[in-house]
Amino acid sequence: MNGLDTMAEQPTAAEAAARLGRLRRHRRRGFGAVCLVLLLAVLTALLVSLCTGDIALPVGDVWDTLLGGGDAGSRFVVVELRLPRALLALLVGFAFGLSGAVFQALLRNPLASPDVIGVSSGAAAAAVPASMVYGVSGIALSGTALVGALAAGAGVYLLAWRRGINGQRLVLIGVGVGTGLSSIVSYLMTRSEVTEAQSAFVWLAGSLNGRSWPQFWPLFGAVVVLAPLTLLGSRALPALQLGDGTAAGLGARVERDRLVLLGCATALAGVATAAAGPVGFVAFVSPPIARRLLPGHGAALLPAALTGSALVGLADLAGQHALPHTQLPVGLVTGVVGAPYLLWLLARANRVGQGG
Amino acid sequence: MTSSHTLQARQLSLGYGEREIVSRLDLALPPGRITVVVGPNACGKSTLLRALARLLPPLAGSVLLDGRDIHRTPTKEVAATLGVLPQSPVAPDAIVVADLVGRGRYPHQGWFRRWTRADDEAVAAAMLATDVLDLADRSVDELSGGQRQRVWIAMALAQETDVLLLDEPTTYLDISHQLDVLDLLTDLNRARGVTLALVLHDLNLACRYADHLIAMKAGRIVAEGPPGDIVTASLVHEVFGLRSAVIPDPASGTPMVVPLGRHHVTPPA
Repeated sequence: MNGLDTMAEQPTAAEAAARLGRLRRHRRRGFGAVCLVLLLAVLTALLVSLCTGDIALPVGDVWDTLLGGGDAGSRFVVVELRLPRALLALLVGFAFGLSGAVFQALLRNPLASPDVIGVSSGAAAAAVPASMVYGVSGIALSGTALVGALAAGAGVYLLAWRRGINGQRLVLIGVGVGTGLSSIVSYLMTRSEVTEAQSAFVWLAGSLNGRSWPQFWPLFGAVVVLAPLTLLGSRALPALQLGDGTAAGLGARVERDRLVLLGCATALAGVATAAAGPVGFVAFVSPPIARRLLPGHGAALLPAALTGSALVGLADLAGQHALPHTQLPVGLVTGVVGAPYLLWLLARANRVGQGG
Repeated sequence: MTSSHTLQARQLSLGYGEREIVSRLDLALPPGRITVVVGPNACGKSTLLRALARLLPPLAGSVLLDGRDIHRTPTKEVAATLGVLPQSPVAPDAIVVADLVGRGRYPHQGWFRRWTRADDEAVAAAMLATDVLDLADRSVDELSGGQRQRVWIAMALAQETDVLLLDEPTTYLDISHQLDVLDLLTDLNRARGVTLALVLHDLNLACRYADHLIAMKAGRIVAEGPPGDIVTASLVHEVFGLRSAVIPDPASGTPMVVPLGRHHVTPPA
């Protein structure tokens, strides 16, 4: 150290603390602003989906109807058809976005998201045979999908556990388990009647067609419980992200805290899949979009969840209205966005030589 | 000022699975001093440090912090007294320096207690001590190895513990940055009386910076004490299997180990 130079420049402790405080407040304002913009995007998607459709309604009429006015026709269209579907889209996106952000932060791997590591395949492998072979439908089918997601998540976790969890190993095992489960689903499809296979296909693509209040309320209940639990559990995330040794040194209860977070994230992906099918790539692309909007802000869980909401909301709008007289499953639209990102990520990982 | 906290190991046996690496080891870190652990690769020195930091549960025996079994004390309570910097820690992608250092405040934050002025002050003091304040809004990814190590030490300092364990804090650093880190740790020990224990590879730096030196081989302590009292050519041979001459370090007067290989050694006259 060259004593004189540093003596002259060295700020006092109080000045340094004030400087850090300013930096922190600046960062917090940035975080708030991005969340606000995302929330506006979500609300816009909601409003547009309430107004558009075979019968276009002006914003004013929609507003009146929501407040209890309007005629019976617009009441039916807005409250019974469009509102539940639009809200379901936002909620599904929220759950997938939050789930993916937790997985990616915790496992320190951008490929770690429930649709890549087998959780969604688990839901499908439970739901498809249940509906085809046993004729399960409605809430029971959603429950079956949830159980499948949780079972696949638990299985992957146990297979990957070797005196602790390594993100890379868990992703590889998850991809393997997911592929295995998907092939079971494919096998069942080849053995089934055409009409059954067709409806299963639509569910597998991830679709909000014909979804209404009966699918909305269970998901709403689950997200109202799981999202705060996840955000509460995420208090340990800043420590956990530094690796097991450092986290334990900081006083985090590594195994317990991680299990709580992974459990919440798996359940979130499970309930979302149960409601709308495995809407592809939402959990996978929402977190990196949020992190890109807020560089250096850590896991950015809430922004990732809001990004997911906006993404599914807009994707379902596009799916319903992009092609005349055809309703595309929302999962098809999100896939069109997500697949190129996956390819880019893999190509880049190869180039910089870091797996995943 | 000097830390009065005690950290001891009693009949400590450590290992992974069936394999025992350290057996029945007794140890007490002198409070307020710098202890350096040296030994050949795989002698169990890092394993011992991990166990002292409660990162590895013992097969038998115990680690006592202020007389209490460290594994039976709530981990957050331990983290208020004892900090640890593991070997080559990993930073999340794109994290900025102030955020990483701030994560050292984790044990001081509860479920409802959010960030306070005291946290800002602790982080500022840690960043001043390690000279990384000007890097506050830089991404950790873009720092040099020496800067990055100073940032990690700042994170450990922000935890404000009276005992700090560091596993090879100078690995991957060039020689001038190794000295920077060791000088910084010595400042910390002198100014705040923090009890330090570090694992080091370089014997001569260990001799120079240690108040208390522990030489380990095959999971047991061969010798411990002030470097000037214990480091001899025969100890170096016993621990490292290395022929050497031990002379006084011309800069510090502490023992300096000059290794003797088969070549380039002038035969004694």
